Amino acid sequence: MFDLKKYRKKSPWILHYNAGSCNGCDIEILASLAPKYDLERFGVINTGNPKQSDIFLVTGPVTYRSRERLVELYTQMPEPKVVIAVGSCTCTGGVFRDMYNVEDGIDRYIPVDVYIAGCAVSPELIIDGVVKALEILEKKSKEMEKALKLFKEATSENGVINRRNVALKVGEVHEEN
Amino acid sequence: MKKTINIPLGSQHISLLEPVRFKFECENEKIISVDSDVGFVHRGIERACTTKFKFDAIGYVVARVCGLCAITHSLSYTAAVEKLLGGEITKKAKYLRILLLELDRIHSHMLCLSHTCENAGFEAMFMRIMGDRELVMEIQELLTGNRVQFDYINIGGVNRDINSEVAKKIIENLYEVKQRVLGYMDEFTNNWSLSLKFKGIGALSLDDAYSFNAIGPLARASGLNIDVRNEIDYLPFNEIGFKMQTQFEGDINARNIVRLNEIFNSILMCENIVNGLPEGEIFTKLKGKPNGEAIVRFEAPRGELMYYVKGNGSAMLERVRIKTPTFACIPAFTHIFVGENYADAPAILASFDPCLSCTAK
Ligand code: SF4
Repeated sequence: MFDLKKYRKKSPWILHYNAGSCNGCDIEILASLAPKYDLERFGVINTGNPKQSDIFLVTGPVTYRSRERLVELYTQMPEPKVVIAVGSCTCTGGVFRDMYNVEDGIDRYIPVDVYIAGCAVSPELIIDGVVKALEILEKKSKEMEKALKLFKEATSENGVINRRNVALKVGEVHEEN
Repeated sequence: MKKTINIPLGSQHISLLEPVRFKFECENEKIISVDSDVGFVHRGIERACTTKFKFDAIGYVVARVCGLCAITHSLSYTAAVEKLLGGEITKKAKYLRILLLELDRIHSHMLCLSHTCENAGFEAMFMRIMGDRELVMEIQELLTGNRVQFDYINIGGVNRDINSEVAKKIIENLYEVKQRVLGYMDEFTNNWSLSLKFKGIGALSLDDAYSFNAIGPLARASGLNIDVRNEIDYLPFNEIGFKMQTQFEGDINARNIVRLNEIFNSILMCENIVNGLPEGEIFTKLKGKPNGEAIVRFEAPRGELMYYVKGNGSAMLERVRIKTPTFACIPAFTHIFVGENYADAPAILASFDPCLSCTAK
């Protein structure tokens, strides 16, 4: 059967959004997708559609006008999702800290899983970050499936599905998993 | 009944590196009017330059206006402050500044070319050019220590000297880049499927370029002879073999050819600099605080960049004004879109090489 768990890890799709950066980190993201660094060997592909992506790469310190768009994109992405803050200014505000039109860092608006520092970050660091994000993505998918594993398989007798006693006790949950 | 439909492009879109929103009003396939909105990345750098940072740090701050032409920004700012302080920098420092300026132009143009190809649907060419661009990035890293934000220029000179190993590597890599770019030249002029996407599309006539105030490669592709490198004299561009590159068709193809020719010219200039680098110091200490007003213009990869700096004899400046190339080109952009097919819009947009971080500051 089509095993979503397995393929999600092998081919995470990334969504890139520029929330007011200077372009420095954006071109490094492009460079890391290009032949020399080749992020695509991890199965990563750059999409423009939030509804199909698993990893959210954000650059820039969040300007006032990009706040709504940032949160909107984040909420449109399906679970499980991982957010990577690329660049010093994305993590903390960097040089732009305390300027009148910026918020200091994206973690004021959305939860961040991986922080990559550097101004500009080098493609090696971006690759490191994405690999780290893949681990977190896997962990998050496991976390999501936990709820399903509170049940055990329903039994069926003579074509009648019997759902009695499918709930597991707390101790049993761990044994089962 | 309304016959037209509105199609938004942006603010987040796969073909865009940066947030900008265009609202196209289309009738069938044809675009009949365009509305643009560029202010998504406004950060308030001009204001911070006068309230947060001292004048000797601003060279590094304004580099963060734009990552692609970072070097032109810090160069323009330092040149303006040096004018106010009234010192003369050494010839070697001047040459090294031009060297980095031209390397930056090469990699910026290559990025633009590859992006245009990608938006026209030619992914293989995008990968090819991006791969070759690493040769230039390598030199920049050797020369300055960083790939994108160099922080190479400071008030009074440059931060790092060049040694013979680096010089050798620069010559080698540039030779390699030249061979590759010759290959693109062939591809861009003779490839049939690229010509369908590029030739005759998004044309700007000479008169329009003039009246809409176009600058940079956009204007030079329409035959307008403007290049600040030809007009200024505090960096010796003419000494090292600068030549104006123009084309006459004004379409996407002409813009690509102008960029390719400029890459050749920049490679020639870099080679001349490395081979004939004068002896001397790379740094002269300039004393005092900026007092008075200065205006400086430079040619960024996208056109003319202007800095206005006003100081009052203290460490804080009174005003820093930045006028960026893309900002000046926007009227021309919107004019070009009218009458084109919507399907061509991403490729046309990429061929302008817009830089919105610059525009919004
Ligand atoms: S971290 Fe530095 S290089 Fe990266 S986007 Fe921010 S200012 Fe630009």
